[in-house]
Amino acid sequence: TTTGATTTADGTYSISVPEAAGTLIFSFIGFSSQEKTFSGPGTINITLSDDAKSLEEVVVIGYGTQKKAEITNAVATMSAEKLTERPIARVDQALVGQMSGVRVRQTSGVPGRGFSIQVRGTGSIGANNEPLYVIDGFPLEVSAQNAGGGFTTGNPLDNINPNDIESIQVLKDASAGAIYGSRASNGVVIITTKRGKTGKPKINFNTYAGVNQTAKKLDMLSPEEWVDRAVEMINAAWVASGPNRSATQTTEQRRQILVQRGDLPPGGVNPNWMIDDRWLQPGHPGLAYIDWQDEMFRRGYVQSYQLTANGGTENVNYYVSGDYLDQEGIAIGVGYRRYTGRANVEVKANDKLKFGLNIAPSFSVAKDPGVEGKDQQMHIAVSLTPVSEENVDLDVNVGPNTSYRWGGTRNSPIRVVENSIGNTEIFRTLGTLFAEYTVLEGLAVRTSLNLDNIDTNIKTYTPAFVSGTTPTNRQAAGGYNGYRKQTFVNENTLNYNRTLADAHNFSVLAGFSYNFSRFNNVQLRSAGGFQNDIVTTLNAAANISGTGNNFTRETQSILLSYFGRVQYNFRDRYLASASIRRDGSSRFGNETKWGVFPSASVGWRVSQEGFMQGVAPINDLKLRASWGIAGNNGLGSDYGHIPRLAFANYTFGNNLATGQVPANSAYPFLSWEESETVDLGFDLGLWENRIFTSFDYYVKTNRSLLINVAVPTASGFATALTNIGKVQNKGWELELSTRNLTGDFSWDTNINLTHNVNEIKQLGPNNAPMPVPSEFDIPNSILQVGQPLYSIWVVRQIGILTQADIDQKVPLYGTQTVGDPKYLDNNGDGRITADDRVIVGHPNPDYIWGITNNFRYKGFDLNVLVQGQWGGHIYSLFGRAVDRTGQGFVDNALGFYRDRWRSPEDPGEGKRGKAYSTFGRIKNTDWLYRSDYIRVRNITLGYNLGDLLKGSFVQGARVYATAENFFGKDWYLGGFNPEALNTNGEDYGAFPLAKSLVLGLNFTF
Amino acid sequence: CEDELNQVPISDASTASFYRNATDFEQAVNGVYSTLRGYPDRAFYLSEVRSDNVYGVGEAGVRDWEPINNFAATLATNPIVKDAWDSNYQGIFRANTVLDQLVARPDVITDENLENRLEAEARFLRAFFYFDLIRTFGKVPLIEHTLTPEEVLLVPRSPVAEVYNLVISDLEFAIQNLDETYAVVNRGRATKNAARGILARVYLTRSGPNYGIEGPGMASGEYSKALPLLNDIIASNRHSLVSPYSRIFAYDNENNAEVIFDVQYRSGGLGIGATFPGTMAPTTYFSAAGIPFAGNLEIIPVSNNLLNSYPAGDVRKSFTIHPNYTYVNRVFEPRAFFRKYLNETGRGQDRFDWPINYIELRYADVLLMKAEAILQGAAGTRAEVDNLVNQVRSRAGLTTPLTNVDLRQLMEERRREFAAEGLRWHDLVRSGLVLEVMNAWAPQEDIRNQIRKPITANHIIYPIPTSEMDVKEGLYEQNPGY
Repeated sequence: TTTGATTTADGTYSISVPEAAGTLIFSFIGFSSQEKTFSGPGTINITLSDDAKSLEEVVVIGYGTQKKAEITNAVATMSAEKLTERPIARVDQALVGQMSGVRVRQTSGVPGRGFSIQVRGTGSIGANNEPLYVIDGFPLEVSAQNAGGGFTTGNPLDNINPNDIESIQVLKDASAGAIYGSRASNGVVIITTKRGKTGKPKINFNTYAGVNQTAKKLDMLSPEEWVDRAVEMINAAWVASGPNRSATQTTEQRRQILVQRGDLPPGGVNPNWMIDDRWLQPGHPGLAYIDWQDEMFRRGYVQSYQLTANGGTENVNYYVSGDYLDQEGIAIGVGYRRYTGRANVEVKANDKLKFGLNIAPSFSVAKDPGVEGKDQQMHIAVSLTPVSEENVDLDVNVGPNTSYRWGGTRNSPIRVVENSIGNTEIFRTLGTLFAEYTVLEGLAVRTSLNLDNIDTNIKTYTPAFVSGTTPTNRQAAGGYNGYRKQTFVNENTLNYNRTLADAHNFSVLAGFSYNFSRFNNVQLRSAGGFQNDIVTTLNAAANISGTGNNFTRETQSILLSYFGRVQYNFRDRYLASASIRRDGSSRFGNETKWGVFPSASVGWRVSQEGFMQGVAPINDLKLRASWGIAGNNGLGSDYGHIPRLAFANYTFGNNLATGQVPANSAYPFLSWEESETVDLGFDLGLWENRIFTSFDYYVKTNRSLLINVAVPTASGFATALTNIGKVQNKGWELELSTRNLTGDFSWDTNINLTHNVNEIKQLGPNNAPMPVPSEFDIPNSILQVGQPLYSIWVVRQIGILTQADIDQKVPLYGTQTVGDPKYLDNNGDGRITADDRVIVGHPNPDYIWGITNNFRYKGFDLNVLVQGQWGGHIYSLFGRAVDRTGQGFVDNALGFYRDRWRSPEDPGEGKRGKAYSTFGRIKNTDWLYRSDYIRVRNITLGYNLGDLLKGSFVQGARVYATAENFFGKDWYLGGFNPEALNTNGEDYGAFPLAKSLVLGLNFTF
Repeated sequence: CEDELNQVPISDASTASFYRNATDFEQAVNGVYSTLRGYPDRAFYLSEVRSDNVYGVGEAGVRDWEPINNFAATLATNPIVKDAWDSNYQGIFRANTVLDQLVARPDVITDENLENRLEAEARFLRAFFYFDLIRTFGKVPLIEHTLTPEEVLLVPRSPVAEVYNLVISDLEFAIQNLDETYAVVNRGRATKNAARGILARVYLTRSGPNYGIEGPGMASGEYSKALPLLNDIIASNRHSLVSPYSRIFAYDNENNAEVIFDVQYRSGGLGIGATFPGTMAPTTYFSAAGIPFAGNLEIIPVSNNLLNSYPAGDVRKSFTIHPNYTYVNRVFEPRAFFRKYLNETGRGQDRFDWPINYIELRYADVLLMKAEAILQGAAGTRAEVDNLVNQVRSRAGLTTPLTNVDLRQLMEERRREFAAEGLRWHDLVRSGLVLEVMNAWAPQEDIRNQIRKPITANHIIYPIPTSEMDVKEGLYEQNPGY
């Protein structure tokens, strides 16, 4: 016979057993079970050890939970217990490097920004690629990352306090996700927040403080090297400007020649042809040499305080928390501050009825005076002329100062970031009210009302004195944008669990849900400056009229869903599960309102079979197979299928004449994108789970992809939205956790490794390759069948042109001469043109990986997380600013130019041609870099003070020191961040990531 | 609650909900006019920069206008050329939308005159866009109704003559149904005289030589069809030459008696300001004048040949062309640029927001087109021609009358009169002089050896944009030479 008992909150227990002797099994979720034999009454004390991969662990899946042992599809889990043990600002940050198949990209180093998460590669071209987030059963509105790297409608994880998180699960395959239907094709991230545990109040206080600074500085020419290059270029330009002009002519001689010709007023200067003579004088008198990056970066301070209380009685349990986070950025003017609160309360009214409320108000302010992206201040700081007049120094082209005559016309980026305002304030309230009623044993009905209300206000202001190109044209600029985003969800489910004949375990779910989402935004801009530099709000703007820049807009959508699921297992040995969801969405075309998303999966726990008993070392083995179809309704617009009108105004006799014209063609067949995943995997535990491994092989096919198919412009439109494309992601995932050492000195290792290959299978009607339009010159990436998404497509540089090349008439681009780069004439037509572009790489890494090592010795713990990616490339559009052929001398250039071609005798490293080149430019492999990196993301050394403080009111305490992102290596010399995304879908002036050193304290009272 | 799935846009109208009354249709027609707003920049690049009026090299990298100026072979990917295709077809689509909706909802507008006028305005504009397409590309797909993208994939380029047929019938309808003139609130809408003038220009263009290509010229000899249209404009007594010359373009003298058809603009950050005055002037000029414009537009220099073509005393030169200036940091810019439309004090909120209208057809053009028609064989005498030309010259301050003016002299006079007005290239093409004039000019002007020489008949029109060629292989054939 079997008898059981549970312990009280403090761990004491008693159990009466009929036998005089026998075996007691002690178990606890998350720990390894232990067996003890007993004979007769007595006291048995037991200490359970932490089980890295317990199969009894309960995993939260869509609309329910399941024992890990019974899972038949691909679910990655992360216990968030460790989140409090290191300084984490955002939940997405915590996911970096933790789970196989989940690529977490930190595309921006600006604090407070959302990370981009991709589950099993990117599968969409014209729609969203980010997963669905579900917090405590509340599916949040999906939000796509925009081409500028931000989340236009907010990131679902904004303002969520990581300290409140209990666990995170990622449903990776369509079989697991299909219960979320038309939103699950990019995976589902399920987040569970902490609940109160029965017992007397337990209070936690966590705090940390530290410093951060830039993890990277770009190698640019030093001021001296810039001068060296400028002199070379100015002399060359002078020589090329007319007959009888030589590099040895002095500035004065040049002036005379020009004045004589009437090309210069007497005493004038033409900086294109005349150098600043002070450059060559010892100590460059009167000039300041500046490293703008050093001026821009700073050491920022971070601090955080988190207080939580939880507890409960038999009838009520509660979890209450508050958090304050203050991050000073690594550059002047940048920072992030957050305040959050949360209360999770659950009331058990009686044996049958339970209800509860989770509510989490939060407020954050992100300060960013405009540091990331093209022509933003970090771009300017990196590229600005490193020489200035001494009496002007850092105040170049601000206030009464002009720009340096040989320099760019930018305003001092230092003064701009010091004086500009760019505040994004988010006030968010996330709430869930639920009730659960047990109708009869095993049958429960649950309903929930969920509201996510996000109010965001963005204020921008740049005062006049740091704007304009000259002292005479300075003008303040400012704006005020904001949006309110509301998601309301009502979920109703019926759950029935039953075990028949002690062998057949059934779990049946049926449900209905209603989802309403609304987005209102407002934008106001000053036009024509402000009345003064004191008042920064728009009441002081000179003019805010103009419908193009100033508007309010509203949009909303409805999603109705019916869903059901059956899970069955026979003696925990043969497992099967099937689900179906039917989604109707207002976003879909009139002919395609409803979609059906089925899934099925099976598992076989081989280790439960009789023949496996005693087959050491295998203690667990499960084979899994799953199939499912999920959808993607992140179509970008709530009304994509409706032919809408846009304003196209005109004027008659200076009167505004409103015009209305069709803005898109009708598409009544607009539908969700669909992903079908087949997944085969196994879980294997060896030596009592000392080694536990999971392996999955998957093929994920995304089809009916939304593509703006090129159509003849004679139709009135250049493109038409069509559900036509197909992309396949194939790969495998490995998770391995080992407990290398147990005992006093323990050492655990968790490894995850993912390989993913991405291939376009179908594009438009005739599969024509689609170059991806670039805002900057010709396309440099292409969508092409048989190739990965967004393959990089540029002309290949194959060396530097020599005189011999010219003599042999190698193909040239335009008016190229000796010392210019030599390009591959791929189509062999004897000249270099845009038609010679070849695919030279793809942006998606082939491998992503993370390794976590945990060491514990007595009170000490040491945690090291190393993660990285391999096999992808990044194309740095920033090269256009600091690394282009034909670049003027004004802007600073990448360090490569130190070893440029200077003469046939001094050809340099062969990477970059001569500084003064006049043939123009074509996008080529100069700006191509591997996006590989290895990063020691986190090292945390902690010490448990528990014993030291014994006897006082403190129950536990831990002190730790963390180095985040401190060590690493990448091969990206053309920008700060190999995962950057900030301008037009690419990197054109990334803000670097921070590295930080932090001291923290955790107290439990 | 499944009805809730039928959401309609909150912040946009949809085609289903619109076109319900006369105001809606007026707004739809205004939307067609709105397409004209990009026309002046394009006309400047494709007709002035292409011609012997401009010679320049981008100093800070390759500028979009440069390959047009130097006859590069790569124009099929040029954004300006693409814009000429895209914008004209966008305008045609908008006009077709109005015309189709008028047919589909015949009872919405009860005032028959208004209905006819709106139809005539849409057809006038459609003809205007098709004529621009013919002059730019030669043969183009002929689309008279709104078609779905799938349907358009079946429409190849039509012979130029067929496209002209639509242009002529649209303009004839417009002459019949447009108003003679409009009240102040509608000033700028196409008038009967505008339709007559554009149709006269169409006939002159069609009558020009074909150069052995399928371009705008058909050698159709229709000069005597142009003449009565021009005479009708003159006889209407609604227009006259405005004097002095500068008053034609004065910011405080819009809609003056010289204007027959213009593209109208208003500044003030409403998104309906003009870009062309700023397009023709370099950013450094504005910063030297203390004007806070962002951006970095380079100078598009006036050719020496044009500068030297003005005789002494010609007031048009100094008004049209700014000779040189000094940058803020004392760099001297010796090259000249067009400042015909520029009045810095009248600027709007940025360099893309000027209030000044762009005159597409003015009375001087009517007079000189009449002279051209007569010289090319329409009824009339040389004395009439001399008189017409001398009217225009005398306003320019050239008091010595010309006698026995020939075609070449007439075209040179047009060049000086209309410099920067987007007519030069088309004038050269229709007069048959283009290859001779350009090939004489290029070697002389091209000291930096940037122009691909010789200039051939294939250069008279532009290539079909690559983006259009790529949509469906074989749908369009590329123009020869590209």
